[in-house]
Amino acid sequence: MSAAIQFNNVSLNYGTKTDTVEVLKSISFSIDSEEVVSIVGPSGSGKTSIIMLASGLETASKGSVKINNQEIVGLKENELSEVRRKNIGIVFQSFYLIPNLTAVENVLLSLEANQQYNLEKDAEELLGEFGLSHRLHHLPSELSGGEQQRVAIARALINKPKIILADEPTGNLDSANSEIMIDLLFDYTKKSQTSLVMVTHDNSIAKRCDRIIEIRDGQIV
Amino acid sequence: MFDIQQFKLINKYALRDFTRSYKKLWVVTSTLFVSLLLLSLTFSVKEALNSEIENNSKKLLGGDIQVTSGIDPLPEKIIDEFDDLGKVSTAIEFATMLSKEGESPVFTELRAVDDNYPLYGNIETIPQIASERIFVNSQKPSVLINESIQKLLKLSFGDDVVIMGQQFEVAGLVSSVPDLAESAVFGEFAIISMESYEQFGLNSGGSFLDHQYRIKFKNSTQVEAKEKLVRSIVEYDDSIEIRLPGESGQSLSRIIDNFSNFLNLVSVSAMVIAGVGISNTLLSFVNQSNTSIAVKKSIGFSSSFIQTMYFYEIMMILVLTSVVAYFIGVFSPLLANELLPEALGIDLQPTFSFIGYLNIFFIGLLVVLIFSIPSLYSISEIKAAALFRNTFNPVSLNFSLMNIILLSILVVILTTYFVYQTEQKLYTVLYFVAFFVTMLIFYGVSKLLILFIKAFYKFSNNSYRIAYRNIVAKKSLAPIMTISLGIGLTLLLTLSFVANNLKKEISDSIPSMAPDLFFVSIDRDMQRDLESFIKDVDPNVELEFSPMASASFISLNGTPIEEVVSESNRSAWVVRGDRRISWSEKPKPDNPIIEGEWWEPGIEDELFISMDSRAAYDLGMKINDKIVLNILGRDVTGIVKNFREVDYRDISINFAIIINKAFANKLPYEYVGTLKSELPSSEILARIVEKFPNVSAIKIDRILSQVSEVLNKVFIAVTAISLIVIIIGLIVIVSAVLVQTTFRRYNNLIYKILGVDFPTILKAMTMEFAVIYGTLIFFALSVATISSFLVVENALQLSWQFDLGLTLWILLSTAVVSFVLILMANRSIFSPKVYPLIRNE
Repeated sequence: MSAAIQFNNVSLNYGTKTDTVEVLKSISFSIDSEEVVSIVGPSGSGKTSIIMLASGLETASKGSVKINNQEIVGLKENELSEVRRKNIGIVFQSFYLIPNLTAVENVLLSLEANQQYNLEKDAEELLGEFGLSHRLHHLPSELSGGEQQRVAIARALINKPKIILADEPTGNLDSANSEIMIDLLFDYTKKSQTSLVMVTHDNSIAKRCDRIIEIRDGQIV
Repeated sequence: MFDIQQFKLINKYALRDFTRSYKKLWVVTSTLFVSLLLLSLTFSVKEALNSEIENNSKKLLGGDIQVTSGIDPLPEKIIDEFDDLGKVSTAIEFATMLSKEGESPVFTELRAVDDNYPLYGNIETIPQIASERIFVNSQKPSVLINESIQKLLKLSFGDDVVIMGQQFEVAGLVSSVPDLAESAVFGEFAIISMESYEQFGLNSGGSFLDHQYRIKFKNSTQVEAKEKLVRSIVEYDDSIEIRLPGESGQSLSRIIDNFSNFLNLVSVSAMVIAGVGISNTLLSFVNQSNTSIAVKKSIGFSSSFIQTMYFYEIMMILVLTSVVAYFIGVFSPLLANELLPEALGIDLQPTFSFIGYLNIFFIGLLVVLIFSIPSLYSISEIKAAALFRNTFNPVSLNFSLMNIILLSILVVILTTYFVYQTEQKLYTVLYFVAFFVTMLIFYGVSKLLILFIKAFYKFSNNSYRIAYRNIVAKKSLAPIMTISLGIGLTLLLTLSFVANNLKKEISDSIPSMAPDLFFVSIDRDMQRDLESFIKDVDPNVELEFSPMASASFISLNGTPIEEVVSESNRSAWVVRGDRRISWSEKPKPDNPIIEGEWWEPGIEDELFISMDSRAAYDLGMKINDKIVLNILGRDVTGIVKNFREVDYRDISINFAIIINKAFANKLPYEYVGTLKSELPSSEILARIVEKFPNVSAIKIDRILSQVSEVLNKVFIAVTAISLIVIIIGLIVIVSAVLVQTTFRRYNNLIYKILGVDFPTILKAMTMEFAVIYGTLIFFALSVATISSFLVVENALQLSWQFDLGLTLWILLSTAVVSFVLILMANRSIFSPKVYPLIRNE
């Protein structure tokens, strides 16, 4: 199996030259395609920073980050956007649906970013699979938290990404909805042979993954 | 490369966002619409007026060609030659007195016309057949008068009036004539038949007689050849003037051009202030949409795609508002018809032109680009990574080096585009420079205010502390309020100060200095009798008579005067056409010599010239220059001996050109004169006209009231337009207030929880407004005072005065309106509801 994500001596610093916070300290790891990995650790340890770096939404201060063997450190904003469009789907803790778009329009957004047009049926089908066929044309404000997160997952998956990055996807949900959400993600990754990297505080979810990476003080334990 | 799918996507997103977020964009839409409408109205009315003048050029001229021979009629032989070319109409214009028993005589522009008049169009009269009556041969001749004479002399149809000792019967009212007579619009105007003029010997108008011949060619072919032929027929005399239809209505066109240029500049000022609002609204729109923007970025949309999408939305608003504004503007000439004097005989028609629309759109586009670029480029500062932390820092206007260069180029294009379209290029450039400098001043003022206030943060008062925090806060109202309201207020104050000074000059200063009566064209044989008669009527009268003859400029130092002096020269009037000159042995005490010396008396065979200094400098003359004047058909070379400072303000007898008396003694001449008396001028005038029916005199107070009337109308229009700038400024401020409402509501809730009561918050808001407005007043007043002083003292050459009452009235009314609007926009923050805020809804 080839590596979907490769981190090589990656450091991430914030702040000024005199007052620097070292968030990640020269970490290296690799995640294979089709592998399901959870990242765990206490608050402020640097879990989310790994997702940010892997998605190209943050740039490493040092080291190399490869997505499907393509070096992304040093790429321009447009090139990073293209890497994301072609390879990555992101699920956030706070859903982040666009408030003035309906459920189906939020999902279509991903396809259209990838220049795939007139695929309303695909989006409706996927939302149907997620049990939202009765909510297709509702605005986010008209959906429950669980429904909003299902739309957010559908938005991340509709593009058939090679890598799914999820940052505490169940953090804002109750246990029943959490379970539904995790089942959806695991089923999909298995079916579509996709890598899944998930930041979580929930041990039971972490244990369902192929591998657990534990982070403490910016380093892999 | 252009990607149609990408374009479709942008179109789809922009349309969707626009239809679902239009409430957030109302400020962009409304301010852009109002300023584009103003621009469109001025462009449309100007275009309609110019096209009316162009389409009716023959009517406005009264023929296919007009020949003016001035005081003397053309020889019969020449008129016969004109007759061979087509139909000829002869008219004579001159000023005289028209009186009614028991009323003060009225100085009237009298036009004697033959029965071919008018060659084009009709004389509009009440009753309709009245124009025919003046040609009916009867014992008592008839006259057509305009409404102004009717009102002044309280005349009815059939009443008798006296013109130069001859009784005329009022046949009707003339409401318009096809060939524009200025006096028909603004003064007193009357028409009689040529037969009456000749029969009753009314030809004592002296140098003010103007013989006009209009020809309507037999057919419309070979017009140019016929025009050439007419020119060759009259080329024997340089003083004979020829006018073609293209030259008709030129003075009206010039007035329209100048006024519409001014309105365009005000419109563009309104648009720039709207631009400040657009910039502010877009920035807050971007900040409010930061999550959506970040999500789009996280999905893989680039910043440039998102920028293009929002820009496309703005373009849709621009297209929509400009189309609506243009269509309303196109129909504005119909409204203008109601406001224009009927006597002008102008009927404006709405004219649609795609170029006209593009003109409006292009100006709107430039303003939108200038003000949306820094806001939209701030999108690149929104980081999608913030979605993981759920923390968004508000972005600010993006002034990268690239953007600054781009904005400078756009500002230069906007200025150049306006300058290119106007005749008054220098004034337009100066206006733009002054405008942008004022904007910078007010931006600096807001920053200074914040710095200044920061030095007083220790002042212990709850309301003050809240006001202080609001002013120094990152999203303070101070910058946007000082810029948008500051510019509007400065413009309003400046225009009001200029208008007020001009009105005061006309209503107070000039009447106190000016004579009561101005005598025109007094026969030299009559002058002594007239003088002694007036002195009998009022022994204390102040009388002044000056000899006068006609002359025209031919050349300056051997170069034809047309080549030396351009049309746009401020003093071109001095050398254009016939000019009245006078002569004197000694310099006048109120005309001090500022360069050169007066001449030795008694030199008969040499012509010496004294020039009005302002005109001389404008025309580039120097002492000892050689000027050729045509005096009574003879070219005479004279030497410029001195320049005098002439003050025309007091309306006493003043001449731009004075020559030496010894040389002038050989010339035929007449007199002009002035009279100032303690007795009522109407009474003196009535007695003079009764005794000397051929004397013509202008009542100065009548002229001043006419000028005041016109000026008042112009100033009302100008003030109304500058008020629009203030209204747009207020919309911009209200929008800034609304943008802040969420933030302030949250703050006020915290204050409420901490026990701060409503009166304290209200007091804080009042203090905040008072501090910002107080600072703004100081600078607006300073800029307005300096600019109005420069205009009044230099351009108008009047003495500038400050009017405290007017200033207080403008400042107070603007303050009250602004504060009430701010309170209304802020009403939701006075009683914030706790529940939704605690629930973070």
